[in-house]
Amino acid sequence: MQYILKKAGEKLDSEYIVSMEGIKKTFGSVQAVKNGEFNLKKGEIHSLIGENGAGKSTMMKLLYGMYPFDAGTVTIEGKKYESITPKTAIEAGIGMVHQEFMLVKELTVLENIILGFEPTKGLTIDFATARKTVQKYIDQYNMDIQLDKKIAQISVGEAQRVEIIKILTRGANIIILDEPTAVLTPQEARRLFEILNNLKADGKSIVFISHKLNEIMEISDRVSVMRQGTYMGTVNKVDTNENELARMMIGRDVFLNIEKKKSSVGDAVLQVEDLWTSGEKEISKIRGLSFDVRAGEIVGVAGIDGNGQSELIEAITGLRKVEKGKVILDGKDITNLSVKKIREAGLTHIPEDRNTRGLNRQFSIGDNLIEVTLDKEPFSKNGFLKKDAVKKFAEELIEKFDIRPAKAELPTSYLSGGNAQKVVVAREVTLGGKLLVASQPTRGVDIGAIESIRSILQDVKEKGLGVLLVSAELEEIMSLSDRIIVMHNGKITGRLNAEEANEEELGMLMMSGKEGGEA
Amino acid sequence: MTFSKIFNASLIYSTFRTATPIIYAALCAAITQQADILNIGTEGIMLFGAFMAVAVSYLTGSWALGVLVAMLGGLCIAMVMAVSHLRFRSDICAIGMGVNMFAVAITKFLLNAWLKQSGTFADPKIIAIPKVHIKALEKVKFLNDTFNDWTITEWFVILLVIILWFVFYKTVWGLRIRAVGRMAQAAQTAGINVNSMKYQAIAISGLVGGLAGAHLSLGYSAMFVENMTNARGFMGVAAMYFGGAHPIFTALGCLFFGFTDSIGARLQAYGVPSQLVLLMPYVATIAILAISMATKKAMETKRKSSLITAA
Repeated sequence: MQYILKKAGEKLDSEYIVSMEGIKKTFGSVQAVKNGEFNLKKGEIHSLIGENGAGKSTMMKLLYGMYPFDAGTVTIEGKKYESITPKTAIEAGIGMVHQEFMLVKELTVLENIILGFEPTKGLTIDFATARKTVQKYIDQYNMDIQLDKKIAQISVGEAQRVEIIKILTRGANIIILDEPTAVLTPQEARRLFEILNNLKADGKSIVFISHKLNEIMEISDRVSVMRQGTYMGTVNKVDTNENELARMMIGRDVFLNIEKKKSSVGDAVLQVEDLWTSGEKEISKIRGLSFDVRAGEIVGVAGIDGNGQSELIEAITGLRKVEKGKVILDGKDITNLSVKKIREAGLTHIPEDRNTRGLNRQFSIGDNLIEVTLDKEPFSKNGFLKKDAVKKFAEELIEKFDIRPAKAELPTSYLSGGNAQKVVVAREVTLGGKLLVASQPTRGVDIGAIESIRSILQDVKEKGLGVLLVSAELEEIMSLSDRIIVMHNGKITGRLNAEEANEEELGMLMMSGKEGGEA
Repeated sequence: MTFSKIFNASLIYSTFRTATPIIYAALCAAITQQADILNIGTEGIMLFGAFMAVAVSYLTGSWALGVLVAMLGGLCIAMVMAVSHLRFRSDICAIGMGVNMFAVAITKFLLNAWLKQSGTFADPKIIAIPKVHIKALEKVKFLNDTFNDWTITEWFVILLVIILWFVFYKTVWGLRIRAVGRMAQAAQTAGINVNSMKYQAIAISGLVGGLAGAHLSLGYSAMFVENMTNARGFMGVAAMYFGGAHPIFTALGCLFFGFTDSIGARLQAYGVPSQLVLLMPYVATIAILAISMATKKAMETKRKSSLITAA
């Protein structure tokens, strides 16, 4: 009798379903997590926040066994783990929705959900039983999922629900979501929050990784903060506010909402007239799109990722063939010209993916900074590079744009996301020109870099260039743009002046005016 | 006219017969391809298997033992490839080419040093894979010409195509191997041991590759000739690409090669220069790949174009 009482007492002691202490993890020469700590209570929504590179995703990937941890202890439901693999994590009831969905595009939704846990009948997979089990969860949480479609054919929001169903069918009680709202519209995000609250009501424990403070204040019960790989503390939501959380994340106050400066708007530097171009998906094809960007203004293009924004930028910058229509830069027809000719006409471009189009990650900072102008004096003469001129130029820019570490000959692969992006921004902005096309300029960079890149864009506009800004961050579009274009399904569904725009309305236009509808 | 002499009922069997070694090779490549591993070493595995089959059959007088040892030999080579690719992270194409060159050299060496032969090795003591004779078919000339006296391995290849189709698309293992091949990270997150799946795929591929060789030296013929695979492994890889690693489409691609080869052999009898005839399978390989790539690309462009609305 006494024994049983003691055991029950012990159980009460450990109010945490997961606890991680003294966690360390090093990748090569980078210490991603220096001193990680995290506790999760049963039935709570616990936000884990921090800047990019603060180690929050790494912590959760360690918990899920994606990589082994170097030091520390992990306890799940009272059981200590020396090492974790995804398999043991799943068995311990942990499920993770990754930032990049872990779904096989060529397989169907149902196949993806049962992957690794397939019911069998004789030699074959028992799809009938699988369908029944999965449908039960879909009905229980009122999610709208089509089981027989291939992943490639469904929307991002639906794919995310597939991920959630997938981990529920695997018996997860602890659900980790890695920046789940980054790819969603405000309406879709609200829908996700409803699902999360339902899961919580069912006794599931949820870890919500994010850096969007307004969402964190809406959804969490408790919030843990990490900075530069170190655990900074945990607070109850009711005891805190956005400013305090921001200070814990960054260590100082930040001013992301720069005051918009009015500059004198001139003539159109970019005119897009009835543009038609091919798309990777049916909804990203551009069919007859027209707009212009004038000197001295920032035009923001808002829209859910994959609704033709990338294709539009590629068509303007010469990376994708224009099938019909015209692109005019400063009065000159640049339709289907080579990238080099387009750049010579005065277009500069911060591409959406710095790793594939923005930078050569193997080359040094200096070489990347002159990539566009390397065939011109003073960087080369008669086909020979002038190393001294390159170095001098690079050092100037490194100082001016505060790129760290400040070594011109260092390969850009050693740079953090924020500093790598600053190299791209420095190169393009220094070129001058007439128009700057900035595609997702602050994607995957830390708050410090976001701050400086945004103010650089403002400066560019003040200098009298036109800026075409594409961003998945509505808040970025709203805080920088003078005018806003909303894209949905490869079409412009709204044109607004920034002053009259609000998030709600933009979200609606991003889904083509259908509230709660699915793209 | 000679036309009817070239295109007659026996062309069906002749096409199939010529295609069979390539089908085996293509299946060998298709298995690893499903796990996103390009098995360029198919040629070498096959050649090594061909030699082992003949050597063992000659020494033991048992074709079955020959086939078995050939398959085990294929497995050994495949495992060398697997370990260097999966454990030591070397490039699979480089290893594959290495295996191909190694196989040419080692079979030549063993032929000389062990069996004291060079060039071509034919001997009555080499026991071939038996042919299946069905009495009932004798009565109908067409059936007799077309389906009688196939070797066991020729019948088996049809079975193997069906088995692999079933395994890839109907079983747990197949779903997992396809997931591993198309997005390894997703498979890993689902708790699947990606490396283990890849080892399994390469191992099975090795067994099939060895069988491909055994069929070539003991079924298709009853001898070993230096470098006797004669690019059949590469044709298999080409057919595998054509068929998108789908066993049935892959086999159809191989039948096309077999067809051109058989036509060529017949044309030779009518004064077409042998050089041209020998060229035909290779021209066919290039043509079939070019056509399939071009149509794929055209369809892709059409699918992506904004000017055409999807139906």
